[in-house]
Amino acid sequence: MSILTAAQKQIQADNVAFVAKEIIPFAAQYDKTGEFHPYLLDAARESKIFAMAIPKEYGGLDYDALTQAVVLEAWGYGCAGMATTLAASVLSMDSVMVAGTDAQKKAFYGPMVRGEIGSFGLTEPSAGSDAGNGKSTAVKVGDEYILNGSKCWITNGGYSSVFVIYALTDPAAGMKGISAFIVEKGTPGFTIGTVDHKLGIRSSNTVELLFKDVHIPAANLLGKEGEGMKIAMKTLDMARPAIASLSLGLSQRALDECVKHLQQQYPEKAQPGQTLQFKLADMKIEIEAARQLLYHAMNLRDAGLPYSAESAMTKTFSSDMAMKITTQAVQLMGTFGYTTGIAKLMRDAKIMQIYEGTNQIQRLVISRAVLAPARPAVAVQKGGI
Amino acid sequence: MPKLLVCYKWVLNEQDIKIRPDDLSLDTSRAKGKISDFDRNAIEEASLIVEQQGGTVDALSYGTSAVKQSVKDVLSRGPNRLLWVGDPSAEEADAYVIASVLAAAIRKNGPYDLILCGEGSSDMFYQQIPARLAALLDLPCLTFVQKMTLEGGAVTALRKLGDCTEQVSVTGPAVVSVLSEINKPRIPSLKQVLGAAKKPSEEIPIASLGLTPEELAPKAVRKSPKGFLMNRKNVVYKESDAAANVAKLVASLAAEGLR
Amino acid sequence: MSILLTEEQELIGQSAREFAKEYLDPIAAELDHTGQFPAAIVKQLAAQDFLGLFVASEYGGAEAGYVSLVEVVENLSRSSAAVASILVNHSLAAYAIQRWGDAAQKQAFLPALAAGGTLGGFAVFEHGPTPGVGPNALIATKHAAGWALKGTKAYVRNAGAADVYVVLACTDPAAGAKAQAAFIVPAKAIGLSVGPLAETMGLKGCPVADLVFDDVVIADSALLGGPTDGQTITTETLALASVAEAAQTAGIGQAAVEHAAAYSKTRVQFGRPIATLQAIQTLLAETAADCHLARLGLRCAAKLMDDGEPFLVEAAMVKQFLARNGAKLLIDTVQVEGGFGYSEFMPLPRLFRDIAGTTLLDAPADYPEKTIAAALLA
Repeated sequence: MSILTAAQKQIQADNVAFVAKEIIPFAAQYDKTGEFHPYLLDAARESKIFAMAIPKEYGGLDYDALTQAVVLEAWGYGCAGMATTLAASVLSMDSVMVAGTDAQKKAFYGPMVRGEIGSFGLTEPSAGSDAGNGKSTAVKVGDEYILNGSKCWITNGGYSSVFVIYALTDPAAGMKGISAFIVEKGTPGFTIGTVDHKLGIRSSNTVELLFKDVHIPAANLLGKEGEGMKIAMKTLDMARPAIASLSLGLSQRALDECVKHLQQQYPEKAQPGQTLQFKLADMKIEIEAARQLLYHAMNLRDAGLPYSAESAMTKTFSSDMAMKITTQAVQLMGTFGYTTGIAKLMRDAKIMQIYEGTNQIQRLVISRAVLAPARPAVAVQKGGI
Repeated sequence: MPKLLVCYKWVLNEQDIKIRPDDLSLDTSRAKGKISDFDRNAIEEASLIVEQQGGTVDALSYGTSAVKQSVKDVLSRGPNRLLWVGDPSAEEADAYVIASVLAAAIRKNGPYDLILCGEGSSDMFYQQIPARLAALLDLPCLTFVQKMTLEGGAVTALRKLGDCTEQVSVTGPAVVSVLSEINKPRIPSLKQVLGAAKKPSEEIPIASLGLTPEELAPKAVRKSPKGFLMNRKNVVYKESDAAANVAKLVASLAAEGLR
Repeated sequence: MSILLTEEQELIGQSAREFAKEYLDPIAAELDHTGQFPAAIVKQLAAQDFLGLFVASEYGGAEAGYVSLVEVVENLSRSSAAVASILVNHSLAAYAIQRWGDAAQKQAFLPALAAGGTLGGFAVFEHGPTPGVGPNALIATKHAAGWALKGTKAYVRNAGAADVYVVLACTDPAAGAKAQAAFIVPAKAIGLSVGPLAETMGLKGCPVADLVFDDVVIADSALLGGPTDGQTITTETLALASVAEAAQTAGIGQAAVEHAAAYSKTRVQFGRPIATLQAIQTLLAETAADCHLARLGLRCAAKLMDDGEPFLVEAAMVKQFLARNGAKLLIDTVQVEGGFGYSEFMPLPRLFRDIAGTTLLDAPADYPEKTIAAALLA
C-alpha cells in the first residue's frame, strides 16, 4: 500500500510546514559556517519529532516506519544536514529498540522525549566499511566495564546526551567479540575530539569520540556480550531507509528548484524545449520510482516481514539518484546553480552514497540476496530432477 | 666573450622505475627520460653566466640513441648549441669511458673557457666525470661548488665540504662541478620551448672522435642492478599488558644488535 | 599521456606541470579557503608566456597554438583549476580580439594581453535566458560618440580583476538574439561597475560577478567585428571555452584518480588494501577511462583549431560527453575514499567542487545537443 492515510498526510503536512518555517530559511547560513544548529532542537522540542520512533509507552510519537520515512523526506527536502541530525539520532535509539531492556529504554529514550539527541558509535579509523574491525575495548571489572579507544565520523557527537558505543569485550574473538553499550555524555574520560569539516551536510555535527578509562555500569550492556555486531546490523537495516528518505527529499527539492528556475526563465513558454523537458521527466520518473521502492520497504517492515534486501536497495537507489539529480540540477541552472543553494544540494547528495554503509557494501548485501539459492517449494526427490 | 661547455646526462626518471618483488630486478619499461638533476643546475648556471655577460654555451652529452629525446628539452633551458654522441657503447660505459668520449668531443669543439658538470648523475652518481675530464684535459678541477662567478677569465667558487666551506679562485679554463644549491633551474617558458627548434644541434659520430678500442672498453663492469626494498617485519606484540609488550620489544631490539 | 602531441607540445606540458607543482600545489588549498585573487601567481603565468599562448608572435605572443593551450590548462588544473580558470577566461578575450579584431584593435590590446600587463574577461551571459530580452539585458544604442551600453552582464569570470572585457550586447531589442554585437570595453570605462562577488561552489580565487553598465559610452572603434557578428563571435569563443574547460576537467579528474588510487593502496579494510577489491577497481577504471577519452576528444578539437579547421561540433561533443560524465570523475573518486573523500581536510572535496564548475556550466543546457544535431542533420 503506497497511499498515505489521512493521519500520515497530516503528519506530512505538519512537517512540511515546520521545515518551511524552521529549516529552509536558515539552511544556507548554517551550511556556510558549518556550525551545528541547537536552535532547531529547541524549535522541535514541542513536537517531540526527535522521539518519533519511540514507543508510546515511553512517551514517544510511536510513528510506524512509513510515517518516519515521510517525516525524513520532508526534512531532507529542507536541508540534508539538519535532517541528518534527526536521522542519526533515530539510528542511535534503534539499537536500544533492538536489544534494550525496559530500564535501558527508559534511560535512553527519556532525553529524546525531552528534545535531546543521541549518537550511534560504531565507526573507527580502522573500521569503516569493515565495520567489525574496530579496536576499542571494554574490559569487565567487577560490575563495570572500562572503555578505551576512539570513534570517528560520529554524527551529533558533540551535542548528544546519549550514545550507543560498540567495543570489544573479547578481542580474541574479533567481530564476534564486539558488544554494545549505552554511554552518557559527561562520563569521566569520555571526550569529544576533532570536528570534521565536510564537503556537504555541513551543519551536521561530525566528530571524533575519545575514551580513556571510561567506567560504564555493567547494566549499560545492550543484549549480551558478543552480540554487538548482530545488534549493529539489525540497527543498520532499520536505519538505511532513513538515508533513502533524505535522498528522496533532496532530489524532490532539486527538481522543484529546477522547475521554479525554468518557469522564471521562460515565463511565456509552458515548456522550455524537449531536451530540457525530458531531463525533468527523467528526474520525475526516478523520484517516483524511488518513492515507491522506499514505501514498499517501509510497508514490509511495518508488516513485520523481512526487508533487509529492500532496505539496502532503497538506500542505494535513492542516494545514487540524488547524486545524479542534484548534478543535473546544477547543469540545468548553470552558473546561477553554481553560485547558490543548488550547489549545496549537490554537495549534500554525495554523502548519501557513502554513510550508513557505502553503496558498494549495499550492493554486496543485495547481490547476496539475488544469488542466494531459492528455498525449494517441494522437497527434492532422490533420482528426480 | 666566454665560450662555455656544459656536460649533461639523459637518465631514466627514477620515480618511474619499479622494483620486481620476486628478484628485485628493475622494471624500467615505464620510465621516461629526464635531464639528470644536478646537470640541470649546471645547464642553468652556464646559461645565467652567458645571459649576464654574453658568450655562448654548448651543451654536450654522451648516451645511447635515446639522447636524441633530450635535444629540445636542453636547448629550451638556455644553451645556444647542442652536441651529442649517441652510441650503444654508452649502455655499458663506465666513468673511464664516459670521460674519454666527452674529453675527445671537448677537444674537437673547444677550446672552452669553462666546463660545467653536475656533481654526479641521478642514476650512477659516480662523481668521477669532472675530475677525470680535468685530468684528461689537463685543467684544474673545482668540485662541490655551491656558488660561483666568472670574471675576466677567473673562476671564483665557494665549495661546500663536509664540515666547512672553502673559497677558491682559478685563472684560465677549468672544470667545475656544481651542487643543486647553486641555483634554481628555470621552468622553460613557452617561447623558450618553441625557440629550441631554431637552435643548432649536431650529432658527433663516435667514430669521428678517434678513440681507441681500449679507450672505449669499460674497466668497471656492472653486473646487474638490483632494487632495495625495505620490508616491514610486521611483528606484533600481543601481551595482555603494556609492560610485557615493551619488555618483549626491548628484548627483540637487543637481539637485533641495538643497545 | 603524449599521444597526438608534438615534442614541443610535450615539453610545454612538462613545463606547465613543473610550474604547477612548484607554484600552485603549495597554494591551491589556501586559495580555495580565501578566494583571494592570486595576483602574484598571474604575474608568474605571464612570465612563462602562458597568457599569450596562442597570440601571434608579431604581438609578442608565443604563437604556440591551441593544443599547447589545452596542455597547459590541463597541467595547471591538476594542481589548481581555479588558477587555470583565470587563464582560460583571459584567453577567451585574447582569442576574440585576435580572431575578429581589426589591425588597430589587435595592436592596441594583444601585446598587453600576451605579456600579462592586461588581464581579459569575456562577458556574454545574462540573468535571462535570451540575450537582449528582459529588463536587465545589455542594450547598445547608437550614440554621438559611438555607442552607449546599458544593462547587466551576469556571472562574468575574472570580473573586477580584468582590465578589459569583450562584451556581448544587443543592438536592436526588437530583433532580439539576431542583433548582437561584441565590444571591447576597458574595465575603467565610466559607468561600468562590478557587482558583488558571487559565492561559487568551487574554482574559488577566480572571481565571478555581474558587470553593470550604466550608460557606458564607448567609441565606434570599440566594436569588435561587424555590428551583427555578436552571435558568431560568442558561439565560436564559447566553443573554445568548451575545449579549454574540458582540459580543466581532465586535469582535475587526473589529479583525483591518482589521489584515489594511491589512497586505495594504503587503506586497509577486510585485511587487505581496498585497491584489491573489484568494487574499488571498477570505480577507478571507469574514472581513468572517461578521463582518457575526454582528453583525446578535447585534444582532437584543439588540433582542428591549430589546423584552421571547423571545430564547433567536436567542441560540442566533448562538452556534451563531459556534461554527462564529468562530475562522475569526482563522484566516483570521492566514493573510493569514503569518509576521507568527504572531509575538507583532504583534497578531493575541493576537486569535487571545482569539477562541477568546469563540466556543467557555460552553455545553455541544451546547446551541445543542438550543435551536434544541426551538423548531423544538415
